[in-house]
Amino acid sequence: MNDEPPVQTQPSGLGPPADFTTFMRKYQDMVFTTSARLVRNDAQAEDISQEVFIKAHEHFEMLSKSPTAGGWLKTVATNLSLNHLQRYRNRWRFFSELGGGSDAGGDDAPEVEFAAPDTFFEGIDADERRVWVDEALSKLPDHQRVPLILYHFEDIPYDEIARRLGVSLAKVKTDILRARAALAKILARPGASLEALSG
Amino acid sequence: MNTNDPEKLEAAVHRLLRSVPDRRAPAGLEGRVLAELVRRASLPWWRRSYAYWPSSVRVAFFIISALAAALVVSGLIVLGSSSGAQELAGGVTQRFSWIVMSREIAVSAYDRARVFVGAIPSLWLYGAIGTIAVCYAALGAVGAATYRVLTFARQNHS
Repeated sequence: MNDEPPVQTQPSGLGPPADFTTFMRKYQDMVFTTSARLVRNDAQAEDISQEVFIKAHEHFEMLSKSPTAGGWLKTVATNLSLNHLQRYRNRWRFFSELGGGSDAGGDDAPEVEFAAPDTFFEGIDADERRVWVDEALSKLPDHQRVPLILYHFEDIPYDEIARRLGVSLAKVKTDILRARAALAKILARPGASLEALSG
Repeated sequence: MNTNDPEKLEAAVHRLLRSVPDRRAPAGLEGRVLAELVRRASLPWWRRSYAYWPSSVRVAFFIISALAAALVVSGLIVLGSSSGAQELAGGVTQRFSWIVMSREIAVSAYDRARVFVGAIPSLWLYGAIGTIAVCYAALGAVGAATYRVLTFARQNHS
């Protein structure tokens, strides 16, 4: 991906300071990953990441001295991704919740054995593990995947997730519970291989 | 691990997800951001948002806006109290008489429609409303069912 040297497009004196380029290189993977997990579309995640760094440039004087710059960027990336999803929310909510019974991993789902993560990915390198988990996450419906990501990756509490998504606290808890069960089920599927998960 | 034990499942999923490394950002992202910043920086002040205008221009803009507003308000007051105001109002009314005529046509059509609807038995009206509502709901249901069938067919296919 970005192993090549970055493209320097700005003429001298007009562009952002070199510090900003260093700052961006430090955080671009985190910002892009945060957006890509939520919107599940690389092109849209790249657009959102661009917007995040343009906002960061506007506040660069403050961010360059702040020890919590990473947190600021992550919050902005999360908010912009949620705003993006919000535009389509009513549509996907209607279609995805019409037949709730088809959701994998419901309360009445049969028990499945889920290997502990410490041993589940034993012998699998980090990048392969990331692809595997991303594919499993992408198989979850949006109304389960988004709150699950906000809770486990962004450390946002249940009530805050409910407020941001405009749904009830009970629904957020149920969706996250079902999402965990469904994720365990996908990852524990007998004979599941990377090829099978990546479709 | 048993997924019916929510606490253990939560801890396991949390450990699993947090152990996943970040993805690499696309190679072009840095170049895109820098190019956009350069493009924005090269825009003249009057093509950027108010917050980026020079402070002297912002002050001048505020003063000019206030003066223009005062001028419009005082002009209207002077115009309203002058002897030519009636003449001007008459001219304007004549020029826009088509608006008055359109309004009269609309009112007349509304009255006729009201009389016509009033002559229809209320049972027929409720029946028609109910039929339209059922058709609308059926259309939505067919659309949603088609969407789900096609989506799941695509997912199963892939």
